[in-house]
Amino acid sequence: MSNFIDRPRYLCTMGGAVSTLKALPRAISIIHAAAGCGGNFGNALNGAAGYLGSGYCAGQALPSSNVFERDIVFGGEERLEEQIASTLEIVDGDLYFVVTGCMVDIIGDDAVSVARRFNQQGKPVFAAETGGFKGNAYTGYDIVLSTLFRDFVEKRPVKNKKIVNLFGLVPIQDVFWKGNLNVLKDLIQKLGYKVNTFFGEGETIENLKQAGEAHLNIVVSDVYGVKSAKIFEEVHGVPYIVANLPIGPAGTKEFLETVGKALGVDELLISTVIAEEKARYYSYVERLADVYNDLDFQRYSVVVADANYAPALTRFIADDLGWLPELVVITDLLSEDEEKLVAKKFTTFSSGVIPKVVFDTDTSNVSKHFNKAWPRNNNNRYFNAFSPAFVFGSSLDREFSDSLGAAHLSVSYPISNRVVLDRAYLGYSGSLRLIEDVIGLLVGSR
Amino acid sequence: MDYIKEKAPPVREERLRACNAYGGSCGNLVEKSKKGCLNGIKRKFSQTQGCQLNLSLAIINTIRDAVVIVHGPVGCGGASLAQAGVNKGFQKLRDSNARGLIWVNTNMGENEVVQGGESRLRDAILHAEKEFRPSAIIIVNSCVPAIIGDDIDGVVEQAQKEVKAKIVPVHCEGFKTKIMASAYDAVYHGILRNLIPHEKIIQDEKTELETLQEKYRASRTVNVLNVSSMSRIDEYELVRLLKAIDLELNILPCYAHPDDFQKATEAALNVSICATHDDYFVEHLKEKYGIPFILRTIPIGVQYTNRWILDIAKFFGAEEAAQRFIDQEVKQLEEAIAPFRDIFKGKRVLIGGGEIRVVANAELLHYLGFEIIGLRAYHYDQFADEMLGEQDIIKQIPFNVATGQPFEQANLNHNLKPDLYVGHVNTNVWAAKQGIPVIPLFHQSQLFLGYTGIYEFARRLARILRNPSFNRNLKDNVHLPYFEEWYDKDAFSYIDESELQA
Repeated sequence: MSNFIDRPRYLCTMGGAVSTLKALPRAISIIHAAAGCGGNFGNALNGAAGYLGSGYCAGQALPSSNVFERDIVFGGEERLEEQIASTLEIVDGDLYFVVTGCMVDIIGDDAVSVARRFNQQGKPVFAAETGGFKGNAYTGYDIVLSTLFRDFVEKRPVKNKKIVNLFGLVPIQDVFWKGNLNVLKDLIQKLGYKVNTFFGEGETIENLKQAGEAHLNIVVSDVYGVKSAKIFEEVHGVPYIVANLPIGPAGTKEFLETVGKALGVDELLISTVIAEEKARYYSYVERLADVYNDLDFQRYSVVVADANYAPALTRFIADDLGWLPELVVITDLLSEDEEKLVAKKFTTFSSGVIPKVVFDTDTSNVSKHFNKAWPRNNNNRYFNAFSPAFVFGSSLDREFSDSLGAAHLSVSYPISNRVVLDRAYLGYSGSLRLIEDVIGLLVGSR
Repeated sequence: MDYIKEKAPPVREERLRACNAYGGSCGNLVEKSKKGCLNGIKRKFSQTQGCQLNLSLAIINTIRDAVVIVHGPVGCGGASLAQAGVNKGFQKLRDSNARGLIWVNTNMGENEVVQGGESRLRDAILHAEKEFRPSAIIIVNSCVPAIIGDDIDGVVEQAQKEVKAKIVPVHCEGFKTKIMASAYDAVYHGILRNLIPHEKIIQDEKTELETLQEKYRASRTVNVLNVSSMSRIDEYELVRLLKAIDLELNILPCYAHPDDFQKATEAALNVSICATHDDYFVEHLKEKYGIPFILRTIPIGVQYTNRWILDIAKFFGAEEAAQRFIDQEVKQLEEAIAPFRDIFKGKRVLIGGGEIRVVANAELLHYLGFEIIGLRAYHYDQFADEMLGEQDIIKQIPFNVATGQPFEQANLNHNLKPDLYVGHVNTNVWAAKQGIPVIPLFHQSQLFLGYTGIYEFARRLARILRNPSFNRNLKDNVHLPYFEEWYDKDAFSYIDESELQA
């Protein structure tokens, strides 16, 4: 299945681990790897992530053992031990997590044991093997989460029925993660529950530490965070459900119903929340009734995104916005089973629109799939063109978009042509932001 | 110098005894460097830096009409994700049809670690050729294939028989060296072996007059070696400076087309703007093609811009014309700068970045009226000895050799309390969070070089100093990740000289 990749849209396992830790409040990565690994991540996790910046202790500040040839020949454990000790002296964090690169994994450095020695002395030092060849950034996310769930989250035999955990939304890989988590927390709070997301606004490492008291884990992904949820269940006895990632009224209604049902929330409360939120949404969308129809703002669309965003976004485009998503390219590395799971999501849109869905990691293949999905004009006088069109993708898809003469909005990683702060695209409120951005582009030249 | 028969160049620890960890006075550093006793200093605490592969890509990603293959696990070269858009814009400044940055990663997984990644690399080469028909396919080799023993040169040799693009393998495995600048040698090594013909190309038959004209033109053409941190307008300024003494420029290697390197062998002189960037290339071009070179200084600031021009003029016997040009330029510049001098007078500045650029900026900022209170350089080698050694005014100030290492920078800034930080990309944020006004040491869309560069730099400085509220507000609201006690310690206390190799 795996092969070379034309412009991959993710880092390696360690890159994903470092980005996950970067998003975790006051968590400090300690990289045990060659000197350039962290430096390489620095740019990918800043300029390609809506200008996220170097963060509290990432970018060039990432502590790193910077092993080189001699350490690779003689082993790097001693150097790692020195680095962990000195990091604890200098760097002020709530949690320290050793991540390992390819080279030290290949030579067999036992970073986990080195970290454990510090842990046994009462230092909050954890570790996992995250050699880059193990997979991509999503793998790193699951490795860090499951390690923390197993080793850091406290055992709480007594559960609090009013607390849930939510994960599966991969920080940074979802460039809008922080705003999105706000939205999801807000929605579930309306059902009467407190939510730990670990990476959200106002949360600290304590939210993670106490996560074992939760009543339910909600995974908003068919593929990411599921492994971690299984480990959580094994270690802490907390069951999990998979809920859809909600964008717009159609998807968010389903999300609230799924979550509400799993938590045994009164149906009347669920329908009241849905009705109120929808009313608010339409009180704004109503404004566009003029321009949408006066200027014919329906568009053919192509979506290029990851396994989380692609179904959610496409459903919003088809069922809420009333557009015509014809082609969806999902750029993740997935197993066949995972592909089936994700593909199923595109077959049940209420609008009846069924887009062509392909799984392909390669950037230059997007236009090839398009050529297969929509016939070319062979100098016909009359031609049913793919126009007017809109491309939802990453900043790597601008060229494809230009080739169609389509408008383009960067919504999936990498995003280097937009600044993203607390913007969210999920839920009812997030989809209003999305509409502002999308329709905003269409009126931008007026 | 002749390493070209080897598949890979030596790393800089060996070739130049370069160092990337030092803290002490400038004077002391030069003295130690001249004795060759800086090699082998390390850190007990270190932060991430860059590796040869990252820095190789800084040059390689600029080459037009090329496809880059990163041979390694999927994260290697990931920094390019942030570059793709802006890179296309910069390429278009040289060629409006430029395609921008295209790269392929061989995505080595556990299977390839066990079974080798050679076939994956071969597939990627053939894909790059078929899909993009580029003029060159440039392969950067990462740590993993190096340690498992992939024979990338063997793969290239075979593939080259089937592929029209020139294939350039670059051996820049990150773990081989701590001196990131080894990348320059790795890239030039690949270029010298694969993009520059081994023998002079025999030209089509030409008339005697045409041959003479060409000869004359070549005798007035210099290769000016650019760096990826330069802007297009920097290049225009260098063209302007050398047009004054009637020279033509061939600008290499950044943003060049692969075919441009052939012409490199026809110039009368190689001129560097940064010795530590180019010595490997110019030494080899001299050795193989007899082209002399000038490798002394960078045209930043009055003193060094004058020197840069005069050194070149001397080679062509045009010193008088050059001096007339310089006198006129400096006079006009002085007048233009005068209104800014009061703003700068006595303001204290710390400068960080590449060694040559930092030392030249010390001279420039002193000229503008600043007081230099500290210097930081990504690495240090012999190429900065002359420029650093001759600036008496900064002999006693601290010089910190560190590739990044923002913890040392934060300590210096906290204790020295500069009024301005002039810094390298990715280091500026930390000074900003300490509330210090920041001006970037380089910027790919701004002018820094030559006389107009001095004026533009001064103009930007005055603007930035006029309202540093953004950074001042940051200081009150965000924190750097270090314990308070760190600032009480000596900034260089984690630098370990115990294994210093004399």
